[in-house]
Amino acid sequence: MNLLLAATIGILFGSGAFLLMKPDLFRAVVGVVLVSNAANLTLMASGLGRGDSPIYPLAEGTVSDPLVQAMTITAVVIGFGVTALLLSLAYRVYATSRTVDLDELSHAEASHEEELEREEISI
Amino acid sequence: MSVVVPLLIPWFAGAAFALLDGRRRWVGWAAVGALAATFAATCALIALVGNEDGSTVAGDWPAGIGIELRADALGVLFAVISNGVLLSALVFEVARGVRSRLFPSLVLFLSAGMTGLFLTADIFNFYVFFELAMIAAYALAVYGDEARQLRAGFIFAIVNLLGSFLFLIGIAAIYHVTGTLEMTTAAERIAAVEPSAVILIAIAIFVAFGVKLGLFPFHFWLPTVYASATPGVAAMLSGAVANIGSYGILRFGPGILPAAVELGATVLIAIGTLSIIYGALQAISRRSSQEVLAYSAIGQAGYVLIAIGLGGPAGLTAAIVYAVVNSLNKALLFLATGVRGFLIGAAFAVGAFSVAGVPPSAGFFGKVELFRAGVVEDSVALVALIFLGGALSFVYMFQIYQHEFWGPSRRSGAESPAAVRAVAVALAAIVIAVGLWPEPLLAASREAAAVLGGGG
Repeated sequence: MNLLLAATIGILFGSGAFLLMKPDLFRAVVGVVLVSNAANLTLMASGLGRGDSPIYPLAEGTVSDPLVQAMTITAVVIGFGVTALLLSLAYRVYATSRTVDLDELSHAEASHEEELEREEISI
Repeated sequence: MSVVVPLLIPWFAGAAFALLDGRRRWVGWAAVGALAATFAATCALIALVGNEDGSTVAGDWPAGIGIELRADALGVLFAVISNGVLLSALVFEVARGVRSRLFPSLVLFLSAGMTGLFLTADIFNFYVFFELAMIAAYALAVYGDEARQLRAGFIFAIVNLLGSFLFLIGIAAIYHVTGTLEMTTAAERIAAVEPSAVILIAIAIFVAFGVKLGLFPFHFWLPTVYASATPGVAAMLSGAVANIGSYGILRFGPGILPAAVELGATVLIAIGTLSIIYGALQAISRRSSQEVLAYSAIGQAGYVLIAIGLGGPAGLTAAIVYAVVNSLNKALLFLATGVRGFLIGAAFAVGAFSVAGVPPSAGFFGKVELFRAGVVEDSVALVALIFLGGALSFVYMFQIYQHEFWGPSRRSGAESPAAVRAVAVALAAIVIAVGLWPEPLLAASREAAAVLGGGG
C-alpha cells in the first residue's frame, strides 16, 4: 500500500510539474491541480493506518486516524477555491491578451519593457 | 477581550463588504474603519501576551486536543505591524479612489488571514489561514485589471501555489514524524527525530517561505508583480504579505526545527548573501522606481535570512527587528512613489535613508542589530557584507530619488489629495519616531526572539 501510494504521489507530482513547464496557461492550471492532489494524497498517507472507521460510538480495537482525513478534506476544499481563482485569472488573461500561450505573453512583456526604455531615452 | 476578536472583525467585515460596492466613497471609508478596529484589537493583544487570556482553544476542547489560538510576543508583533501597513495602504487607496468593487473586502480578508496565521498555534490551521491570505493577495495583485498586471498576477499565483503545496507536504511530513500539529509539542517531539528526515521537512518548508519572501533563487515572480501593481497594493504585498515569509521561516525554522536551521546555517547565510548582492545590483541597473524597490525587497529579505542563519538570541532579535523595519520602509517607499506634492520628497528621502541605514531612521537600528549579531558571532565577512549592502542601497535609493523628484518629467504632475499625502507623511514620521525611540521595538523583538529560543 505504501509503495502504491508513493508511486501515485510521485506520478501525480511529476505530471503536474511537467505540465507547469508547458508554455500554456490552462496546462499550467491543470499542473497546479495535479500537484495539489499530490499534496493531498501525501497528507492522507502521513497518517495511514488500519482500523475501523472513527465514528462514535467507537468500535472495539483500533480506529483509523480521523485527523488526516479532516485535514485532507480541508485541503481539497482550498484546492477547489484556488482552482476556480486560477481559471478565472487565466480567463481574464485570455480576455485581455487574446492568447493563452505563455511565450507570446512574455513577448508582450518584453515589448512593454522596451517601450519603457524608449520613453526613458526620450526624456 | 479574547484573542478571537481581531480575527472576527475583519472576517465578518470582509464578508459584509463583499456585498457592497467598494467604489462608493462611504463604503471605502467604512472598510477603513473596520480595518482600524482590527488594528486596534491587534494592538490590544499586546496586553494579553504571556497571560492566560492570551490563548483560546476552539470548541472548549482541553488544551492539546483542540485547535489553539495563542497570542505570543512574536505573533502579536508581526500582526500589529502587518495590520498597520494594510491600514495605511487601504487609507491610501481609498483616498485616491477605489476602482474595483471588491477591493476593500479583499483587503479585509487579507487582514483576517494574516492575523489568523500570526496568532494560531496549530500547524495545519496556519496553512488554512495562509491560503486565505494568499488567495486574497492573488486577487489584489491584479487590482487595476491591466493586461500586464494580469500576466504578472497569474505567474504570482502559480509560483506561490506551488510553494503552498510544498508547504502542505512539509506539514504532512511533520504530522507523520511527530503525530501532532500543535507547534510547541511538535517542536519538542521533533528533537527526537532523526536528522535526515528533519532536513527534508525543513527544505520543503524553507522553499515554501523562500518563495513568499522572494529570496534569490525563488525570486523570479517578484519584480514584475511589484512593479506592475498599483502603489497601494505593492505596499501591501511587500510590507505585509512578505511578512508571512519572514514569520514562517522564523516560526518553523528556529521555532520548530532548530536542529535543521543549525545544520543549514551556512546555506541560509549563502542564500541571504546572494539575495543581497543580486537584489542590490539589479536595483542599481533599473530605472523605474517600483522596479528598483522590488529588487531592493529581494535584497532586504536576504538580511533577514542571514540574521536567522547566524542564530542565537542576537541573530534572531536582529532578524525580527529587520523584518519589522523593512516592512515599514517598503510600505512608505511604495506609497511615496505613487504621490506627488508637498513633503512627499522628504517622506521618500526618509524611507531611502532608512533602507540605507542612516540615523535617525528606523533602518539604522535594523542595521545596528545586524552588526551586533555579526560581532557576537565573530563574523568579519558578515559585517563587511552588511556595510557593502548598505552602501549599494544608498546608491540605488538615491538614483530613484533623483529620478523621481528631481527629474523634469515628474515635477509637473498634479498634486495628490491631502489624505493621500498625509498617509505617506505619517508613515515617514513613524519611521523617524522608531529611529529616535527604538526601545519599545527592540524590547518587543527581544521578547519575540525569546519565544523562539524556548523551542516553541
